[in-house]
Amino acid sequence: MALKSNLDVAVVGGGVIGASCAYYLAKAGMKVGLFEKGDIASGSSGGCDGNIMAQDHQPGYDTNLTIISNKMYKELLKELDWDIEYSEKGSILVIETEDELKFMKDRMKEQLACGLPVRFVDKDELYEQEPLLAPGFLGAIECASDAACMPIQVAIALVRRARSFGAEIHTFEEVKNIELDKKGKVSGIETIQGKISVPRVINCCGAWAPFLGKMVGLNIPIEPRRGQLVVVEQVAQVGHRKISEAHYIVAKFHPELTEGTDSDMIKYGVAFVFEPTASGNMLLGSCREFAGYDTRTTLPAIRAIIKRAIHFIPSLKYLHCIRTYAGLRPYTPDHLSIVSQVDEVPGFYIAAGAEGDGIGIAPITGLLMSQIVLGQKTTIDVDPLRWSRFTQG
Amino acid sequence: MSNKKSKQNDEDLIICRCEEITKKEILQAIADGARDLRGVRIRTRAGMGLCQGRSCERLVRKIISEELKIDLNILPSATRRPPVRPLELQLFGRDDDGIKE
Repeated sequence: MALKSNLDVAVVGGGVIGASCAYYLAKAGMKVGLFEKGDIASGSSGGCDGNIMAQDHQPGYDTNLTIISNKMYKELLKELDWDIEYSEKGSILVIETEDELKFMKDRMKEQLACGLPVRFVDKDELYEQEPLLAPGFLGAIECASDAACMPIQVAIALVRRARSFGAEIHTFEEVKNIELDKKGKVSGIETIQGKISVPRVINCCGAWAPFLGKMVGLNIPIEPRRGQLVVVEQVAQVGHRKISEAHYIVAKFHPELTEGTDSDMIKYGVAFVFEPTASGNMLLGSCREFAGYDTRTTLPAIRAIIKRAIHFIPSLKYLHCIRTYAGLRPYTPDHLSIVSQVDEVPGFYIAAGAEGDGIGIAPITGLLMSQIVLGQKTTIDVDPLRWSRFTQG
Repeated sequence: MSNKKSKQNDEDLIICRCEEITKKEILQAIADGARDLRGVRIRTRAGMGLCQGRSCERLVRKIISEELKIDLNILPSATRRPPVRPLELQLFGRDDDGIKE
């Protein structure tokens, strides 16, 4: 017999997505219970970098989501009253070859059409702004609105505020089962503490979302994709904003232009990312690899990341690596997240699968989910994020 | 009164010297839901500095153990991540550097 509860909705997962869903649902007046098997931000949100970056997305829907979400971050700064280490310093994508240059300039037109504040930074200006870059680069694309934050603090802040709106926060309380009534509708959950009746469950388990899906008979096509990162000691800032490479965008959309690339780079999906953090440390990334649920860091991938970083900023070689870490990005086959109800299991919802964009789109994801649950008009069309795209041919 | 004063001083003690985190901040993190070293670390940055908790880990463990009445022996250690001590990045760039996993 399930323990009676007055919960309207159980949010499962205490990363940034679950925290955001809990926040917006609680703010809208719903009685929310957030259930997390570990601590807040103990999965992917505690094993990533803090990108709120639009310029590495496909121009169009994907870019729009981040633009809206970034605006929401600025509102959240006031609403959350918590230091989430947000800064909007912009980002640059450094261009190395003529092929990349042409591709990136063409792409820039589409980005401008989306309203993204991008511009081409020529060679002279690039070296004036980033004097530590290795010589020989052709320029960069700058996106003034790209921002950064501290994901763990974002999750903590959203959870705290959700709690102030009446949400119950159950950390270290794993959900073991989901109960359905005779009609196949969600009626409760069973955690390690016991059974709780609740008419709605939101699956915010990121890379672990398939496990919760199985409890209601769904095969959610999310796979864990490991990303490894290197933490560099605190020194007077080597760079003041995010720097990454155009090569990665080109490789994503035009692999034929990347022939001759270092094989380890391809093997581990390495692309240069340099991110100065509010603490004064620098993060170096990135890699993307399918390695199951293994969150260890591996020497070959770390080597490839560091080599690539030194290729762009040679003086990094004299600084120290103090730590490496890894996290699992929830990958979906079409690189879009799932933010949706599930028609075949009434009361079951999914907000997961943002791969490496979860931090950037956490606010809009939580807001959209609250609007879906409450049957309100959504801020942006959610059709591209619907669950049924994976169940209907 | 002298007791109160010493407690006050105690709370101002810097536990993590790299990130300058006081005992008071660690107690607040525990009150906020931290149950282990990682929980304290993500809430306060204790152990996230240059030494990666080499000097403060024992102290933080002791505080958690006392506050939550958890036996020190069953309190999990911090996640171990390479490198074991700070290493110059250029060492990783060579293939004959002798760095092993």
